[in-house]
Amino acid sequence: MKLIIGGAFQGKMEFAKEKYNLTDEDIFMCTADEIDFSKACIYGIEEFVYACIQNGTDLLKFFTEHKEEWSGSILICQDIFCGVVPLGADMREWRQVTGQLCKYLSGEAESVSRIFCGLEQKLK
Amino acid sequence: MIVFISGGAKNGKSTIAQDLTVQLSAGGTHYYVATMIPADEEDNERIRRHIEDRDGLGFETIEVGRNILSCLETADCGGTFMLDSVTALLLNELFPDPLCPEMDVESARRCGNDVVTFAQSVKNAVIVSDFIYSDAARYDKVTETYRKCLADIDRKLAAASDVVIEVAAGNMILHKGELPG
Repeated sequence: MKLIIGGAFQGKMEFAKEKYNLTDEDIFMCTADEIDFSKACIYGIEEFVYACIQNGTDLLKFFTEHKEEWSGSILICQDIFCGVVPLGADMREWRQVTGQLCKYLSGEAESVSRIFCGLEQKLK
Repeated sequence: MIVFISGGAKNGKSTIAQDLTVQLSAGGTHYYVATMIPADEEDNERIRRHIEDRDGLGFETIEVGRNILSCLETADCGGTFMLDSVTALLLNELFPDPLCPEMDVESARRCGNDVVTFAQSVKNAVIVSDFIYSDAARYDKVTETYRKCLADIDRKLAAASDVVIEVAAGNMILHKGELPG
């Protein structure tokens, strides 16, 4: 699995498309509490997390259980970790769970790239 | 040479940009392109701090809040220009009336192209932006539009730059190219 992280609007998807030769059909865009691991690339893991914490899904458990399905995937997650502690409890949980998941996925990844202003910084 | 500098707020981006500008100018003319249009006493104080910080470094200050290319009508393109900052310039372009959330997205798009043209038209350009993309907040549409417009400009500039630097606590993370030496 290849993990791509980076701030909002930094060009994470464009980077993935170019580097791994992906088309729109290869990418699953997370917008709710469902995910399609049959696609080569999953974009917006943080949005999946956001939807899942509303209905109480244990994200780490979910990803561990589905490991075989994403172990060859390209996963893209937004870095949402550098601001002040959010005032809302649900936003704090969103940040915390996304962070835990990113650490887990980083550990499992064969490569981790951070995208900064469209440029790749190799972290692993 | 084009140098693009970004990073978190209050990390020392301007100081690093100033030093690089002086170095790149190699004793020649160097301009400080000030883009902020002060709105209150806090802004005036910030500007005073920046002026104090670059005192004695030999900068000629050009104040231009909108239409960045206009400053090339009078300045010497053979000089070295420090633009501080894209963030403030975009703010002025995207919000024509600072007291109104009405956005001029077309103007913001032109501004992005203009900044790249500006950087490519002068001998050396050192351009400062702000990295405001990594917090856990779900912003309103106006703020998201502003962040997206700024990120679009940042990425255009990073692509056009010879050197891209992220500043963290006064230290440099080099993302592209080599520091001028």
